[in-house]
Amino acid sequence: VKIFVVGAGQVGMTIVEALHGEHDCTVIDLDRGRLAAVSARFDVATFEGNGASRRALREAGVGDADLLIACTSRDEPNIVSSMFTKILSPRTKTIVRTTNVEYLEIWQERLLDVDFMVSSELETAHAISRITGVPAARQTDVFADGQVQMVEFDVEPGTAAEDNDVVGVPLRLAKIPANSKVASIIRGGRMILPRGSEAIAPGDRVVIIGSPAAAREWSSIMAHEKRVDDVVIVGAGQTGVAAARLLLEQGVRVRLVDSDADRARAVAEELPGARVFHASGADPDFLERERIGQARAAIFAMPDDAQNLYAATLAKVHGVHFTIAVAHDQVSADLFEQAGVDVAVNPRAVTAEEILRWTHDPRIRQLAMLEGDRYEVLDITVRETSDLVRKPFKELPMTGSLIGAIVRDGAAFFPHGDDQLEPGDRAIIFTESSRVPEVERAL
Amino acid sequence: LITVARLRRAVRRETIGVDVGGALNLVGALIKYLSAAALFPAAIALGYSEPVWPFLAAGGVAAAFGWGLERATKGKERIGAREGFLVVALTWLLAAAFGALPYVFSGEAQFDRPIDAYFEAMSGFTTTGASILTDIEGVNHSLLMWRQFTQWLGGMGIIVLALAVLPRLRVGGRQLMESEAPGPEIEQLTASIRATARRLYLFYVGLTVVEIVTLSVLGWTGVDDRMSFYEAVAHAFTTMPTGGFSTQAESIAAFGTASQWVIVVFMLLAGANFGLMYRALVRRNPRVLGRDEELRVYLGLLFVGSLLIGSELASEGLETGEAAVRHAAFQAVSIMTTTGYASVDFNEWLSVTSLPAMTLVALMFAGGCAASTGGAIKVVRHVLIAKALRRELDQAVHPEIVSPVRLNGAVVNERVLRGVISFTLLYVGIFVAGSLALVIDAARTDTQVTPYEAIAAAATTLGNVGPGFGFAGPFGSFEQFSDVSTGVMTALMWVGRLEIIPIVVLFTKNYWRA
Repeated sequence: VKIFVVGAGQVGMTIVEALHGEHDCTVIDLDRGRLAAVSARFDVATFEGNGASRRALREAGVGDADLLIACTSRDEPNIVSSMFTKILSPRTKTIVRTTNVEYLEIWQERLLDVDFMVSSELETAHAISRITGVPAARQTDVFADGQVQMVEFDVEPGTAAEDNDVVGVPLRLAKIPANSKVASIIRGGRMILPRGSEAIAPGDRVVIIGSPAAAREWSSIMAHEKRVDDVVIVGAGQTGVAAARLLLEQGVRVRLVDSDADRARAVAEELPGARVFHASGADPDFLERERIGQARAAIFAMPDDAQNLYAATLAKVHGVHFTIAVAHDQVSADLFEQAGVDVAVNPRAVTAEEILRWTHDPRIRQLAMLEGDRYEVLDITVRETSDLVRKPFKELPMTGSLIGAIVRDGAAFFPHGDDQLEPGDRAIIFTESSRVPEVERAL
Repeated sequence: LITVARLRRAVRRETIGVDVGGALNLVGALIKYLSAAALFPAAIALGYSEPVWPFLAAGGVAAAFGWGLERATKGKERIGAREGFLVVALTWLLAAAFGALPYVFSGEAQFDRPIDAYFEAMSGFTTTGASILTDIEGVNHSLLMWRQFTQWLGGMGIIVLALAVLPRLRVGGRQLMESEAPGPEIEQLTASIRATARRLYLFYVGLTVVEIVTLSVLGWTGVDDRMSFYEAVAHAFTTMPTGGFSTQAESIAAFGTASQWVIVVFMLLAGANFGLMYRALVRRNPRVLGRDEELRVYLGLLFVGSLLIGSELASEGLETGEAAVRHAAFQAVSIMTTTGYASVDFNEWLSVTSLPAMTLVALMFAGGCAASTGGAIKVVRHVLIAKALRRELDQAVHPEIVSPVRLNGAVVNERVLRGVISFTLLYVGIFVAGSLALVIDAARTDTQVTPYEAIAAAATTLGNVGPGFGFAGPFGSFEQFSDVSTGVMTALMWVGRLEIIPIVVLFTKNYWRA
């Protein structure tokens, strides 16, 4: 597949990294230095020029592209790139990155000729709310309209079987919540297939596929903590407000803090359910007065990474259990977690992930990237001609893949050994990246 | 008087920032058109073979005066936002003077003091319903109907009427209407203020017609023998503007149970927000009613008030059964909507218990809804002040909190909120000053006025309610007050009807400065 990527920034780089192996990629950017960096790392073509110029796009050869990904940090050039591409070649699919939620709404109303649109702010907010909704989860993804969740947990060192009848017990004996499956156990960077004799050990990372109720049960087993119900968000920019809105919808009590008086006022008018404070998140007196330390979780969504780290650390000192900080730079993201911030969210990585999901096989509705690029979750509709149809699972050969859930006639269920695949089923499959083509062929 | 002297000096030095000529020009025009209202009682007088000339003379005088004023200030027809206050204040003063002329010309003995005639006319236009008449049935049909009609004209506002009918007021109309319309803000139903005024007036006319028909049907079918067509018209004219004048000395107690219940319903409607009812009934969107916070509080207060009065009446054995419910609801609705009718002489309850009377005095301060014809503080202001106070308490504990006050989900502008608080403080201040003035004047003239009666008289006139307690009770008369007290109460009615600010602002130096 011929893919054009406009913008060689962090998002573009992440996308190219994931796609250059299987696809024919061309990167367009105005900055020669950035292009040099891309071509030094990956085997891709580069084109120096303005992605929002028709002539540049034509010269770069967009006319015979299959997919154009416009992912510069500026909204309007991205939209213009997509528009010109559609003029030059109507069959080319386009993906546009935007920071403006309004553009996203217009696209959702099908008023923009763009095949897929991603808002960094909204995706980041979704990532944050997923993390707070299930506090111990490193990552949560939903499939089949929310009927199936895939959740990744770190099993805390020191967790013992006495606490929960799950850790340290062979899986066939462990009291695993109903309607869920252990999809994978990751131990020391290696994926172990969860056979019945295998047991979850402290320090492992486990991937669970199950119903939302089962995911919450797992969350309480793994976290020993109640669901987050009181969140402080520092920084009422687009990301902070979007996260606040999602959390409020879940019935979480939200306190928003911003040091800009006008913005605080505007947000207070926009979100009637939130308590808004005009204050600095780095003011210890304020934290003390408002008992910020008693919040179950604090989110730091200011535009400056250093401020986020400082405020998050201060919040930790004041006793906040769980801190999530936005790190605009991948380097800061790694630093944050080493410095004691519980989860760092990089908006660009989140955006790249969302874009990559869409670039896969159109039959695959969603896919999550786990552990970098090594494992993937596929959502595939089973073909009539597949060899695996109508055979009980216990007779199928054991491979590096696992069918976590099946959606049949709109309802999800979690299969056991006696169940079998029917044509037209949607199968949610957990697999190693290298086996994705194999699985797609088989089904 | 000091202001007038200063004004004269300022005019000489030409430093005055208000176009008085332009304002007077518009006032003249308004009075000229208003004089046509005298034709209605004149027609009634013809029908009953009563003297027509007092009305024709009054109309002629007003028309000539208005025309003269307009001529004298010709060439200054353009007025701005600032002149609006002066126009509204003067128009209402002069309208009351016009309203008093038929009383004076009629030679009716009860209007022998000119201040009493002026009081009666002001009580009419401001829809107060306080009366100096001691023998209402002794006054002829046409004069009584004029009294009722002044309330109907004043209910929706003289300027709103002019805005709806006269093409000339298109400029500056919004500001004029804001000065006259009850409530902190007017809700525009359409893009143009003139069309809004027209729709509200038509709705008002419509409700009046429905009430006339309903009451007449009760009379024709024999349910209520005393409810003739004349009475139906007379009482619809004073229910819809929450006026309270009656052609009967015993007010609504003179009519049957069914009529009393019908009037309760129409008083309730008159005290509700006309813009809201318009959207619910004419635009067929009844869901807006359920979502309106003011309406909920309005009905809630009426319910609690009726419950307090009714249970006390029953437990003291003053009334029983349906009568207890009816009289409690009637009095609570009548006083809170600032209508001022009575279905019973609630003055007499005072000798047994003070609870119902005290509840009624408290309700005098509640008032109707914004954009209703009711007076007093208005329910929406109470709601907004409660919310602002709750925010103050929140801020005392959480100094950094940013929490906008909302009404029906929409954020209320801080300026509007400040306006509401200032209005209410001024209202209470003027009420206290008014009560004091009445007591001081009573001491000066050696009249028997108890503190309770003075308080009730000030509250009832400032709130445009109508009846007070003691001799000024629902079946009583304000005739016993001295000339000075009558003048004070006339001023209170004027100030209360125009919601204080447009009048008080005229007494500030910066209003007149360039």
